[in-house]
Amino acid sequence: MKTKYLLVMSLVFVFSLSMLVSAVEVDIFQFKVETKDVLEKAAELYMEKNPDVRLNIQTVGGGDDYGAALRSRFASGNEPVIFNVGGPQDIDDWMDYLEDLSSEPWVDLAYKGVLDGVTVDGKIYGLPFNQEGYGFIYNKTIFQEAGIDPEVITSYDALVAALDKLEDQKGKLGLKAPIAFPAKEKWVTGLHLSNVAFSQEFGDVLTAYKADEVEFTYGEELKLLVDLQADYGYKPAGTKASLNAVDYSTQVDELFSLGQVAVIQQGNWVYASIASMDEELAVNIGILPLPLKGVVEDSIPVGVPMYWAVNKNRKAAEKEAAKDFLNWLYTSDKGKEMIINEFKFIPALSGYEGLKPSDPLAEDILEYSEAEKTISWVFMGYPSGWGEQILGANLQAYLAGDISWNELEENCKEEWSDVRK
Amino acid sequence: MKKNKLTFWAFVGPCLLAFIIVVIIPLIFGVYYSFTDWNGINADLTYVGISNYLELFSDKHFVNSFIFTTKFTIVSVILINVTGFSLALLVTRGLKMSNLLRTIFFMPNLIGGLILGFIWQFIFINAFASLGEYTGQMWLMGWLSTTKTSFWGLLILMTWQLSGYVMVIYIAAIQGIPKELLEAAQIDGANTWQRVKSIMLPLVRPAFTISLFLTLSNSFKLYDQNLSLTGGAPARSSEMLAMNIYNTAFSFMKFGEAQAKAVIFLIIVGIFTLSQVYISKKGEVEM
Repeated sequence: MKTKYLLVMSLVFVFSLSMLVSAVEVDIFQFKVETKDVLEKAAELYMEKNPDVRLNIQTVGGGDDYGAALRSRFASGNEPVIFNVGGPQDIDDWMDYLEDLSSEPWVDLAYKGVLDGVTVDGKIYGLPFNQEGYGFIYNKTIFQEAGIDPEVITSYDALVAALDKLEDQKGKLGLKAPIAFPAKEKWVTGLHLSNVAFSQEFGDVLTAYKADEVEFTYGEELKLLVDLQADYGYKPAGTKASLNAVDYSTQVDELFSLGQVAVIQQGNWVYASIASMDEELAVNIGILPLPLKGVVEDSIPVGVPMYWAVNKNRKAAEKEAAKDFLNWLYTSDKGKEMIINEFKFIPALSGYEGLKPSDPLAEDILEYSEAEKTISWVFMGYPSGWGEQILGANLQAYLAGDISWNELEENCKEEWSDVRK
Repeated sequence: MKKNKLTFWAFVGPCLLAFIIVVIIPLIFGVYYSFTDWNGINADLTYVGISNYLELFSDKHFVNSFIFTTKFTIVSVILINVTGFSLALLVTRGLKMSNLLRTIFFMPNLIGGLILGFIWQFIFINAFASLGEYTGQMWLMGWLSTTKTSFWGLLILMTWQLSGYVMVIYIAAIQGIPKELLEAAQIDGANTWQRVKSIMLPLVRPAFTISLFLTLSNSFKLYDQNLSLTGGAPARSSEMLAMNIYNTAFSFMKFGEAQAKAVIFLIIVGIFTLSQVYISKKGEVEM
């Protein structure tokens, strides 16, 4: 009896040992916290189908923190096989580690423009995560009560008229203000908002990345958008300076989700947190254009937030497994279904016909895309730190009344050319 | 003698080794990197001489955060020690609630700096605003949105957190004062203030030395509370030195320049704290 037991155990042991030895380990180091669980689920599914591959997923939150963590991962010698890069600056920095992905099957499926940021000398180094878009998200119920038709808001002046209407009926509608403007979040102002003007100045992300100088060609128009949100924005202490105390969670989770403001400048990523506060509200929201007066007034910025990259310096078997997993995730039927229904992504690749995004914001963004009313994301082409720490910080000083708009432009121009000189 | 040496190294060795690995070697590397244009990834470095150091003096954000940090440190050292000492006096008076009060005053120190920052952010932004709205006191609104409120916000947070800690040091010192001295003074007709001023203060001098040192270096090197409470807002005006260095490295990706700043920072902290210890040591009285 005992020998039999021992025999079985040792067989199991030998078997699992051989599994461990033959398995290809693929370390994935990724930034998207929101989809961490689904990604792990997808990895499980993939491993069931490919028992000789083991995927280890590690997630570190977005923004600066991911970049810092990735650097330390590489510095420690524990290099991941799959990691994320953001745009031209990252591509430049990580060039020694990037595998050429030009011959991958998904390359031909990519929508026009989505690979621009990761293309160098005709070679492609990144698979786009998804597309995201932002604009003025509005509360449909409040608009209806106020008697505003969102369909006609396709210009700056129409937007001002609508905000005036909301301002007048503030008491009746139970609003604290028409808009919530989170000046504390420098990525909302310094990156997203400014993108509207700079995408027109530069055209695309690579031009921005190569530009030695920034002109503020549409500075006046950008100022209009800042002032608009400041004037109609909720000010905690009644002064414009106090806009600097409004943060993301005050804007989205509190003011907008509780119906205390009707409009916020945000993107489709806010859907989940609004839905967790108020499901009924979450299905009654839509996106209005972010109008740059007299230049482009009916479009919203749509772009790719991050790309998947494969580490060139790892073993061939690991790289093959990594590429195969990414392929499976974005082009197989099961993968596609998960991308749409569980990741809730707006795909940056074609071939997802028949699968519809399930939230109203994603639907609106697709509509803008199909009507070609989109402008590109260029903020990944700003000098490192410029958007948030320079422009965003200067915008706070402008709102506080410490500097004039001219001084803001001068400061920002100077810092840009300092870096690019 | 030989055996003595062996025990000496057996005890000192491991610590020394750890110290060399985690402090000395990184320090040497850091100084080395400060003369290069490292971007945090590549191994191929270019030697750029002292240009990183020259850059510092033209970096107005660095100068600003130096001024802000210095101002903050001066006020916070005074506030924390005055509060801590007063609390220590309060809980050594033999009140019934002494032990409970000691625990309560020490408690904030048990919560991590990051969490404290977020808690106080909620208090300053939401609780203060609701209170202000309710009572009509407009000065309670929009905290942390101006440089002044950010400055005082940080100070309130740090005082709240650290005064309990220095209180414990002062309690130990006060309890070390011989009862006879105080009693004799009382019999001679000295009132409470006179007893505190002429007997307690001189005798707790060593505790002042250590508390001043702790609060000085803590305030100067502050990072986590700064990050979670204000994040440098508004307009990077409440960005303290440690945070400025972090941003230079991880937002602007200028690792060489950040290292140069860190070296200067080390020297400044060294000068400040060592001269403080030297000065306060001089005035200590032995019993």
